Amino acid sequence: MLIGIDVGGTTTDAVLIGNGEVYSTAKVATEPQNLLISLLTALDAVSGEIPPERIKRVVFSTTVITNLIAEGKTDHVALLLIPGPGLNPASYNFPDSFFLKGAMDYRGREIQALDEAEVRENVSRIRDLGFLRAAVVSKFGQRNPDHEFRVAEILEEMHPECKVELGHRVSGKLNFPRRVASTMFASATKEKYRAFVAEIKKALAERDIKAPVYILKADGGTLPLEKSTEFPVETIFSGPAASTIGALALTPEGQTSVVVDIGGTTTDLALILSGKPLMASRGAKLDAFLTQVRAFAVRSIAVGGDSAVRVAEAGEGKRTITVGPDRAGPAYCMGGPEPTPTDALRVLGLIEIGDPGRAKEAVASIASRIAKTESKDEGKDEGKDAGKDEDRLGADIEAEYDYDTRAETETACRIVDIATEMIASAVREMFLEWEQEPAYRIWEVLQKKKERPENVVGVGGGARGLIAGVAEKLNARPLIPEHAEVGNAIGAAVARPTLTLNLRIDTEQKVYSVAEEGEILSLNTTDISNFNKMRSEDAEALAAKLLRERAERFGISEYAGEAEITHSEVFNVVKGWLTAGRLFDVNMQIPAGLIPEWKRREKA
Amino acid sequence: MKFGFGKIKDALKGVAEKEEREKEDEEEKREREISEAREVKEKMSESEQGPGTIEELNMEAKEPVKLNEPGSGPEPLAPADRTKAEKTGLIFFPAFDWAISPTHPEREERLLYTRDQIFEEGLMDLPQIAEYTPRLAGYKDIARVHFCVPDIKAQATTPHLIAAGSCLVLADALMVGEVKNAFALVRPPGHHAMTVAHGNRGFCNINNEAILVEYLRRKYGIRRIAIVDTDVHHGDGTQEIFYNDPDVLFISFHQDGRTLYPGSGFMNELGGPKALARTINIPLPPGTPDEGILYVLDSLVLPILRDFKPELVLNSAGQDNHYTDPLANMRFSAQGYARLNEKLAPDMAVLEGGYAIQSALPYVNTGIILAMAGLDYSCVREPDYTPGMFVQASRDRKVLDEIVATQLENWKNRDFLVEETVKGLGDFYHRKKQIFYDTDMIQEFQDETIKMCPDCQGYVTIDSHAHRSINDTRVFGVSVPIYACKNCQAEAREEYKKRIRDPVYEHVYLQDKKADEYRAYDMRTKKETVY
Repeated sequence: MLIGIDVGGTTTDAVLIGNGEVYSTAKVATEPQNLLISLLTALDAVSGEIPPERIKRVVFSTTVITNLIAEGKTDHVALLLIPGPGLNPASYNFPDSFFLKGAMDYRGREIQALDEAEVRENVSRIRDLGFLRAAVVSKFGQRNPDHEFRVAEILEEMHPECKVELGHRVSGKLNFPRRVASTMFASATKEKYRAFVAEIKKALAERDIKAPVYILKADGGTLPLEKSTEFPVETIFSGPAASTIGALALTPEGQTSVVVDIGGTTTDLALILSGKPLMASRGAKLDAFLTQVRAFAVRSIAVGGDSAVRVAEAGEGKRTITVGPDRAGPAYCMGGPEPTPTDALRVLGLIEIGDPGRAKEAVASIASRIAKTESKDEGKDEGKDAGKDEDRLGADIEAEYDYDTRAETETACRIVDIATEMIASAVREMFLEWEQEPAYRIWEVLQKKKERPENVVGVGGGARGLIAGVAEKLNARPLIPEHAEVGNAIGAAVARPTLTLNLRIDTEQKVYSVAEEGEILSLNTTDISNFNKMRSEDAEALAAKLLRERAERFGISEYAGEAEITHSEVFNVVKGWLTAGRLFDVNMQIPAGLIPEWKRREKA
Repeated sequence: MKFGFGKIKDALKGVAEKEEREKEDEEEKREREISEAREVKEKMSESEQGPGTIEELNMEAKEPVKLNEPGSGPEPLAPADRTKAEKTGLIFFPAFDWAISPTHPEREERLLYTRDQIFEEGLMDLPQIAEYTPRLAGYKDIARVHFCVPDIKAQATTPHLIAAGSCLVLADALMVGEVKNAFALVRPPGHHAMTVAHGNRGFCNINNEAILVEYLRRKYGIRRIAIVDTDVHHGDGTQEIFYNDPDVLFISFHQDGRTLYPGSGFMNELGGPKALARTINIPLPPGTPDEGILYVLDSLVLPILRDFKPELVLNSAGQDNHYTDPLANMRFSAQGYARLNEKLAPDMAVLEGGYAIQSALPYVNTGIILAMAGLDYSCVREPDYTPGMFVQASRDRKVLDEIVATQLENWKNRDFLVEETVKGLGDFYHRKKQIFYDTDMIQEFQDETIKMCPDCQGYVTIDSHAHRSINDTRVFGVSVPIYACKNCQAEAREEYKKRIRDPVYEHVYLQDKKADEYRAYDMRTKKETVY
């Protein structure tokens, strides 16, 4: 039996899966102040009736890091930054920054030495200011971490109680400001996350659950709980990732879909292109900072089932209906204070929840307010095309027919139309943005093509009423799979591990490094005999070997066979007119996907 | 002007060595090019449609070509107001899968370290930068500028189409007001490519800036454009293309042509009879540092630009004036380049040369991007650079003073010069030209005529004879300027009709920019291609 639990902002969803079948599901309210309680309540709800030894795997996705950052409850971190030449570091907006002299170039050659006296001066200031955590990040530190190591040594010597995080260990990708932010968050959340993990482990032990436990990452992959304490920031945004993997699990293989997760206040969108979830090209944005955390390309728009529906002045005495961006409370038909899209859906009979009388009342109040200004116009709209020509809408409604059913239906249609159009246009923008991704090679420019969704997959609570409208606008098939309301928990339950490996080889300097591991090693330690004759195939073979070893260390070696090369390039290093060496870059990944247990079910 | 002999000797040595090495590479290069061309052809035929629309007509009828009344082309769009735009548009297209040959300076990793630097700086994340994605230029965009021999496909391969297309993407972004300025950080380069393109010269096949200018004129009705060529090599291709065009001001500063490829760009090259002093050459002594270049910019280039009042200023932005460039002998720094772009404030910059791929390009490009985006570039510095390490020699300063004085005088007297010169000419102005294609080893001889029309700048014809080792090619091209008068247009089209009956030519071209109509006639197959 597999358990998946997604701790979301409003609800915590859980699912128990056995033999590819959903056995039971649970939905409990999330208590933002005690995520652990929410998580365990949901866990108990689905697993209560089965003996603990039958549980084979437990996967959580949690907002714990997101919440810590959003609520400003992270620890203070001193940033020791070694920016070198380039953008003026004064333009960075990182807090608590201490800038140091010293520089590496793009090939990891030292171009300016550290000023040790300056380092010591700054470390003593950090100590005097009471910082207990420090992040050391140098520009091109991933190409040569010597400066980061030396600063860490001085910190260790002068301020031993300070916990140090090094930039090149957090991310090996190019982008210094993003690496600074990622390292800062890693350092700021590590302790609290460790405590959270310890509590989970304790709670599971109490329940006698001995199955391996994983945590879901923003890239839709699972990470063993124990291992996750090294990479706390990677667990942000695992909610949208869970929904996306859920949609992947619940839709036919290999298709292009847009995943629409309609919540109370917001709608999250993600894309699955020919069966592969689309990753954000550079990394997730966290708080005010861009990071290098690998995440799905998700977009959140401020429209949901409980968005406040209001009438606004559109100028020239005209009025228009607005949906969102805020939520005043639950839908009016559910006892809330203001009209919402849920009320409109109720009036149109597209959903069955809530009090129909109150829904009617909510929509009528909008209808009467919009009608007051428009009754002068002689429009003949049928209501269906409402959103497209707002000025003329509801024109034939007259004030005295405030409670006229037709007026209500038309207004409800219009509210639904506005909400679905907001979602559909965001989807169109996402596809456009994906097409506009920069290309740096000829073949990348040549292979650019348009893709449009075949399916609009609705997951989450608010999906039911709005999906059909969104799909119609996108000329796609609406799809609300069975168990869509707990699609996120299913996604967590059936997600497989992901792993990346970025190998760089410099045969002129006779070194190689794996960005994720942060060590620069001599090529002599590999079984490559003649570096000058090295070809791409040799580099790729080395990458594959290193990936297998890395997967083993992560306890996920059974998935190493799923690894694929995402990018492989080789450049000559020419000195004068001779080739002095080669630079190889090989990027590999075990991509997001489903565990075989779930796939088996599809075939059956 | 006088030079120290030592400098000339050094510089000449550099050129000679370069040529020798190129010879060595030649064979390998040829092979590679052939296989590359094959690859690209395959790719192109695979893609559903080639770039642009082409109409192929079989012309075996008695009357070989029937020219209808020329259309006038679509109405240009009005450029949007850019005063509120805040971003700098950027296309980074390093063409990591294209090289002239594996160790040629124009090879795959030319922009590799530049990528590393600008990505590590996180420049693409800055709110002041908008990154755009490249596209392929259409064949028609190329035909607006070039007579490609034997055809466009042969000269403009996929990477060339992408580099040119990138400029056009940014031109659109600029014209619709999305960005305040733009930088096309693309390769292959183009400023040595002339109107007739028989092959590659100076690493260039097609001229990105010229394609950009004709696109801006056609699509957005821009008339007055200034191109400032800041590459260390004379922008002889761009100069040649706009030599007779009084609406395009071409200013090039470069290392003196007596010491560096292509060996032209002297002060007496001032433009055709009706466009005199719309070509301004500034041959700089080898070894000129930031100080000298910025002096010329302040005292000559900027005053002329202020006077000319162009609608757009383009920077043909080579980076080989750098003190570490292996192909030239100047002493410009990253700070100097950033300052230059800040002062010049071009609406658009297009990368040209620059071959110090490790010691200069990463820093120079970062500097230019920051300067164009209005950001602080004071911390951009080459590892071995210290301010004040290069001082302007006082002897060279005198040379610069003379250049500034002479060219300001020419500029001031431009209308008088035109008047006096045209007075002494008949109906046509004839010019003989000899052009050498260093990369492809082609000698080209041209007879150019320009109609001395009282109503417009006059149409141009080029009779071109190219010698390869044993094969000779002779082609004829007629070009009608976009703002030509009706008579010139009609006369030019007659000329085209006449020449396609003359079997001495292998190819005959009509470039009617007024009608936005482009024709290429193949004498052997009797086929006409219309773009």
